Amino acid sequence: MKVSLNTIKQLIDFELPPVDELVERINAQLGGVEEIISLSEKYKDAKIVKVVECEKHANADKLSVCKIDDGGDELTQVVCGAPNVHAGMWAVWLPPESIVPSTFDDEEPFKLGARELRGEMSHGMLASAKELALGDDHNGIVEITKKDLPAEKELSVGASFAEVFGLDDTIIDIENKMFTHRPDLFGQLGVAREIAGIFGYQFDDPKWYYELDEQPEPSNSFELKSFNDCEEKVSRLMFVGMDNVTIAPSPLWLQAKLVSMGSKSINNVVDVTNYVMLMTSQPTHAYDYDKLRGESIGARMANSGEKITLINGKSYELSSEDIVIADAEGAIGLGGIMGGSDSEVSNETTRIVFECANFDMYTVRKASMRYGLFTDALTRFNKGQSMLMNPYVTQFALNMLSELSGAKLATEIYDDLKTSDDSWRAKPTVIPMPEAKEIERDFINSRLGLDLSVDDMMKLVTNVGFECEGSVDSFSYWAPAWRMDIQDKEDVVEEIGRLYGFDKLPRELPARSTKPAQLNESTSAKQSIREKLKALGANEVLTYSFVHEDVMKKSDQDVNQAFRLSNALSPDLQYYRLSVLPSLLDKVHANIKSSHDEFILYEIGKGHNKKYHTDDDEGLPGEMEFVDMVYTSKKPKSGAAYYHVRNLIQQLCLDLGFTLRYKPVEEELDYPVTAPFDLKRSALLETQDGVFIGMIGELKQSVIKNFKLPSYTAAATLDFEGLKKAIHTERQTYLPLSKYPSVSQDLSLKVSSDVSFDSLFSTVSDVVSEESDNRSIKIDPVAIYQPADDHTVKTITLRITVSDHEKTLTDRDVSEILNHAAGRALSTVGAVLS
Amino acid sequence: MDKIESTRQFLLELYDTIDDKRQVLRAPELRELLSGIRNVPKDQRAEYGQAVNELRQELERLVSAHEDRQVELDPIDVTAPMDVNSSIPELLPSTQGSKHPITAEIERISAIFNRMGYVTEESREIDDQYHMFETLNFPKGHPARDDYDTFMTEEKDSSGDPLIAPAHTSTMQNRVLKKYRQNLEKGEAIAAIVPDRVFRNEDLDARHEHTFYQVEGVYVAKGVHAGMLIATLQEFLQEYYGKKLEVRVNPFYFPFTEPSFEFALSCPFCEEKNSQCKVCGGEGWIELLGCGMIHPNVLKAADIDPNEYTGFAFGCGIERLIMMKYNIEDIRHFQSAKLDFLEQF
Repeated sequence: MKVSLNTIKQLIDFELPPVDELVERINAQLGGVEEIISLSEKYKDAKIVKVVECEKHANADKLSVCKIDDGGDELTQVVCGAPNVHAGMWAVWLPPESIVPSTFDDEEPFKLGARELRGEMSHGMLASAKELALGDDHNGIVEITKKDLPAEKELSVGASFAEVFGLDDTIIDIENKMFTHRPDLFGQLGVAREIAGIFGYQFDDPKWYYELDEQPEPSNSFELKSFNDCEEKVSRLMFVGMDNVTIAPSPLWLQAKLVSMGSKSINNVVDVTNYVMLMTSQPTHAYDYDKLRGESIGARMANSGEKITLINGKSYELSSEDIVIADAEGAIGLGGIMGGSDSEVSNETTRIVFECANFDMYTVRKASMRYGLFTDALTRFNKGQSMLMNPYVTQFALNMLSELSGAKLATEIYDDLKTSDDSWRAKPTVIPMPEAKEIERDFINSRLGLDLSVDDMMKLVTNVGFECEGSVDSFSYWAPAWRMDIQDKEDVVEEIGRLYGFDKLPRELPARSTKPAQLNESTSAKQSIREKLKALGANEVLTYSFVHEDVMKKSDQDVNQAFRLSNALSPDLQYYRLSVLPSLLDKVHANIKSSHDEFILYEIGKGHNKKYHTDDDEGLPGEMEFVDMVYTSKKPKSGAAYYHVRNLIQQLCLDLGFTLRYKPVEEELDYPVTAPFDLKRSALLETQDGVFIGMIGELKQSVIKNFKLPSYTAAATLDFEGLKKAIHTERQTYLPLSKYPSVSQDLSLKVSSDVSFDSLFSTVSDVVSEESDNRSIKIDPVAIYQPADDHTVKTITLRITVSDHEKTLTDRDVSEILNHAAGRALSTVGAVLS
Repeated sequence: MDKIESTRQFLLELYDTIDDKRQVLRAPELRELLSGIRNVPKDQRAEYGQAVNELRQELERLVSAHEDRQVELDPIDVTAPMDVNSSIPELLPSTQGSKHPITAEIERISAIFNRMGYVTEESREIDDQYHMFETLNFPKGHPARDDYDTFMTEEKDSSGDPLIAPAHTSTMQNRVLKKYRQNLEKGEAIAAIVPDRVFRNEDLDARHEHTFYQVEGVYVAKGVHAGMLIATLQEFLQEYYGKKLEVRVNPFYFPFTEPSFEFALSCPFCEEKNSQCKVCGGEGWIELLGCGMIHPNVLKAADIDPNEYTGFAFGCGIERLIMMKYNIEDIRHFQSAKLDFLEQF
């Protein structure tokens, strides 16, 4: 929202502090200032001059040689090519060394000089409206007449153009977002009122904003049939016909005013509709009456498929959810957003229809999104303008139209207002309320931590247009008619806090009990997993929750099980990922390329699956959490990569306080989570208590190739819920220390190579636990040997360490256990001592 | 021609011995053959060129066949701790490990708030519009919904609306308020933070990510006022930066708080508006987060009586804190999984 400081100054009656101080107050009490633009610099050299002499150039048909009076001792010679230049006129002169204002923001601004034009010296130039960046007119130079001057300004030679026309202005651009709930602040009037309020002054609205004058009798020179066929969407609709219109450029003061409010001049009628909006925040529009079909105008819902061409020159096919302004035969404007080109005011226009309406904010917002149309009118309507101010805004516009274009009232004012509540008619400038609302002093003070009196509070809000009646402990209030945001008591609290100054609120911490805040089991489990994994040399990464379908396909996952985004800007974000692992695989190659030869990437993250988990979490898709990782080494190492990850996960779980069982995958698995794994080189993991933990293994050859992974790569996908459960299971793991030395012996057993390590190990371990009375016995794997020339057998060596709590063991004691174990192993898995 | 044949033999032998088969195509011997065409008499050039070309194609076929081969590997004994004739693989050194800077910072932030009496909760990655908007006082079609460039799914929730990727951690407010509502009856406060991942459908650049992290804070009790919000955040930031800091609030608009603020702190990285400061650029202030008093409709949506209880909420971006702290130039590094980046933390 661009705020013209000169305009604000005209609306208030106290001195404003310097700009930086003002901006600081606006930031602190109204809304964030995005930019401060100084117009003064742009216009600083432009002078008002009188053309004293004007002769045709002897050597050029289209040029005139002028002598101008710029207030100096001597006349200055300027050569001018404009057809309208003549002696005795008042003009705007850009002296040598000055910058042409229309090029001021260009990369290379145009600097004027003094130079010879076909033998005549020309000092600077006489400027057109376009060169002054006021409008598009460059057919002639600007001629200033009395009616161009702002009120109370005089013409004098050498006067600063900027000063006379208020272009010595500063524009303060406040973020629109701050005013989402404040439709009234999209007009200079609203901002001026707030500025008065934050400096503690009563704001006086201009009379036309609260009092309606009698309008003159209409001439009834033409007929206008008005209608409102969608009252639920157009809560107020006003039309009025005017004749005797002369379209012309606006007087210079209005052109300058539009510029300082961030707009641009078009012609007198269009300028009035824009000016009224920029001042009051209520958008208005003018139609050429003679272009209306059937002498009729009104609002209705569009017919599906109905076509319209708007003033941006583009055509649209409308939806039945759009509000349109229509004549007897078709749509002539997209309600609340943009007028149609067929009914646009042009230079030939002599009769107009003026519109001041109130469109449903949600409907216009949807239409604007549908067509990608974002206009000044929409920015205001989609905040929900008050429907009570239309008559005042209309009055303001009609007066200006008659003054600037000669327009006269031709028809009665059509005013269709739908409201179930007529109470506002008693107080037409306050919001409709059955009765004033009451708010307690304590309600406000307790929410702000203040101790203001009712009088203090009432003063703050009456400054900005509230009407109040107070008692000791409470007051009643009527919010002003333009304040659509004041609904609840909290809205009044905000208003008082803001106008008082939030930075002045007492800062104290809430009193609290000494009860400790409970730790979150999930986040603390994740924290310990991260710490352990860091100690195990793993690098934690975070990757996007969304993936390209290729990443899933490369991992052999079924894309159809993934939730799909409907509005992603990039195909890289097409789908919610099914599991975390593919994202990690996708990041390996780049790291190998940047010279990382051996590493572990892991991520704790979520996956979603619409086949298995659509609505299992209180009606929402279940969120599965994974601790996924990939280990890779550019240089292959001895043995299968699987064993690297197995060792890693085994250590992780030991560090987390539990041990695992590794089970071969015996059936086909058809889940996205397991899809990347080579199942014959992978294991399912569970705790000794049977809690499922996840899968580790090597990857399918196709997956390795698709992601360009080194062949020595293996991965793990762990179920966080399982891990959490295992971490939080209480265990008694301490064994009392023995006073006697322990004895170790190795047991080497030769088995057929299809006997699994685990079946041998558990046989030995069973025997050992039978011998465990008063003893602690540990079994450690030492080696698995297979002769190079015979792959049908292997020898597994286990180290058995025994410590007894009651006596010193002899080697014989231990050999007995070993023999016992070997005997059992022979019978269970056919193992022979080697 | 003989030279071609002998080079061919040489290259085929080379091919068998190297690990990176593609290197054979870059062998200097092959390049020499290719450039050697200049020294061949004109009338033999065509023949020579064809022969060299055939050799190159042969090698390329070998290389791509090697790359395309789908060698099915034999099953292994997954119950064993090591492969046959191999020792137990050595683990990587712990010095190689690293924690992601974002999770490390979240742990630090959580620890401070935990000490201040706040519990930590986690957020969701798929949610419904009811939690993202409705319970936060954004009715259907509310223009403020536009400020959150929200990802939507093609799949619908039970009320027929698309599911969404939460654009703020406030999506958890209603759940947190309900979960701890019984605290209020016991005379205790609801005090919780939610640090987690959020999503905005934005184009990426050095300052903008579509996936980033926020920490949400919620505090509700009897007699909570706006000054307490400011004091709480000031206390947190002073603890976080380990120094005294000035703070200020500017009015803002969020549908779910009233009043709403934009909260700024005096720059912790420079003294007195140093124009050389890379973080604040001499402004002296850093706009850090949005906050406000919880809107009565939000409390009501969680069955909490707004006349009896009041509270505040805040939401702060986490990457920004880290970027300021370490002078990180590009937000996209965080989710790039680049080890060169991660190893620095």
